[in-house]
Amino acid sequence: MERKELEAKVIELVAMAYGKDAADLSVNSTFKDDLKGASIQMVGLVSELENELDVMVSLQDASACATIGELVDKVEEEM
Amino acid sequence: MNILDQLYEKARLNPQKVAFPEATNEKMMQAAYETGRDGYIHPVLVGDAQEIKTLAVQRGYDLSIFTIVDIHDEAYKAKVIDAYVNQPGRMLKAKALGRRMENPLYFAMAMQAVGDADVTFAGIDNTTGDVLLAGQMIIGMKPGISTISSIGLCDIPGYEGSEGSLLAVGDSAVCTNPNAEQLASIAISACDTVHDLLGWEPRCAMVCYSTLGSGQGELIDKVTEALRIAQEQRPDLAIDGEFQLDAAISPAVAAKKVKRESKVAGKANVVIWPDLNVGNIAVKLIQQFGHANAYGPMLQGFNSVVCDCSRGAPVSEIKGNVVISAVRAAGSKKN
Repeated sequence: MERKELEAKVIELVAMAYGKDAADLSVNSTFKDDLKGASIQMVGLVSELENELDVMVSLQDASACATIGELVDKVEEEM
Repeated sequence: MNILDQLYEKARLNPQKVAFPEATNEKMMQAAYETGRDGYIHPVLVGDAQEIKTLAVQRGYDLSIFTIVDIHDEAYKAKVIDAYVNQPGRMLKAKALGRRMENPLYFAMAMQAVGDADVTFAGIDNTTGDVLLAGQMIIGMKPGISTISSIGLCDIPGYEGSEGSLLAVGDSAVCTNPNAEQLASIAISACDTVHDLLGWEPRCAMVCYSTLGSGQGELIDKVTEALRIAQEQRPDLAIDGEFQLDAAISPAVAAKKVKRESKVAGKANVVIWPDLNVGNIAVKLIQQFGHANAYGPMLQGFNSVVCDCSRGAPVSEIKGNVVISAVRAAGSKKN
């Protein structure tokens, strides 16, 4: 999967997990300020990454990502 | 008879299926064996069946006490996965769940999610974080609850409260700095936990350094907002505040400070702290100065009972927590 395609897919999954509009998100969107989610939403996101992209990113690694772009990096490493 | 003895007796009346995904651990196997042998639970050991059987025999245990579930039993695993993914609202799909179930912790919780176990009991080999993550992912959280949290049950010598020497307090262990919504969830979950475990009609006080507006500030605003959310979400529960601790549990102080009708003031049996700083310090004070026994922490907020015990826990403490979990699970089925 090309990087741009992967970014779009991860943004779509983030939007779904956090109840946001994907059009409002980018790789620069931050989990702390732009998404402001609870831990259960990150659990949901990790589950969706596993379901849809067949990669296991640990909750600890995902929670350490400041931006969606950093999460895409983690996913790319696991693919 | 102390509260733990009473809970042991209660467990024996309706033994529950408790899944042990860390069954090879010596202390865990001993606790599972002894609580099973004495009729408090039905122990279900989850892992590599051959390894479990070999260790159990080496340790001199009667295998007939246990149900042993082999995580390599592909037919059973497929059955659990099929039942799980057909439940509404589940986070994981079949392939992802199957991969997770190579870990006995996830296998046990998937069994619990489909009704083949009533409780998952872990925490000796897995960290609290591992247990919380697996619980949120596989068991899921109760509808309307925004955080996993915990309560402890304090047995305080000389305390004469509305439940004798007992007082439930939370959260002193899990949710560090809850926002108002999360604090409301802690209070609601605490009410359900004491009802399931002890059969109490919960009277839950949300405490801080102010009683009904006697103080002002953002620390109090969080508590009053949490109270509003909790009362709106669960009008069936007696949750009240904001109270200082003495106004919550002392009828004499409540009579002076609470000049309105309250089902809770002066007779609270559940006290909810505003954050973990308060909760941790308060429990230490109760233990150090009040010479109390504090049981727990009991995890709450999951769809069904998950228990995380301390990694340094002795067998006696593990057994106590196994029994508490089983009684909670039995109590929750009556709702």
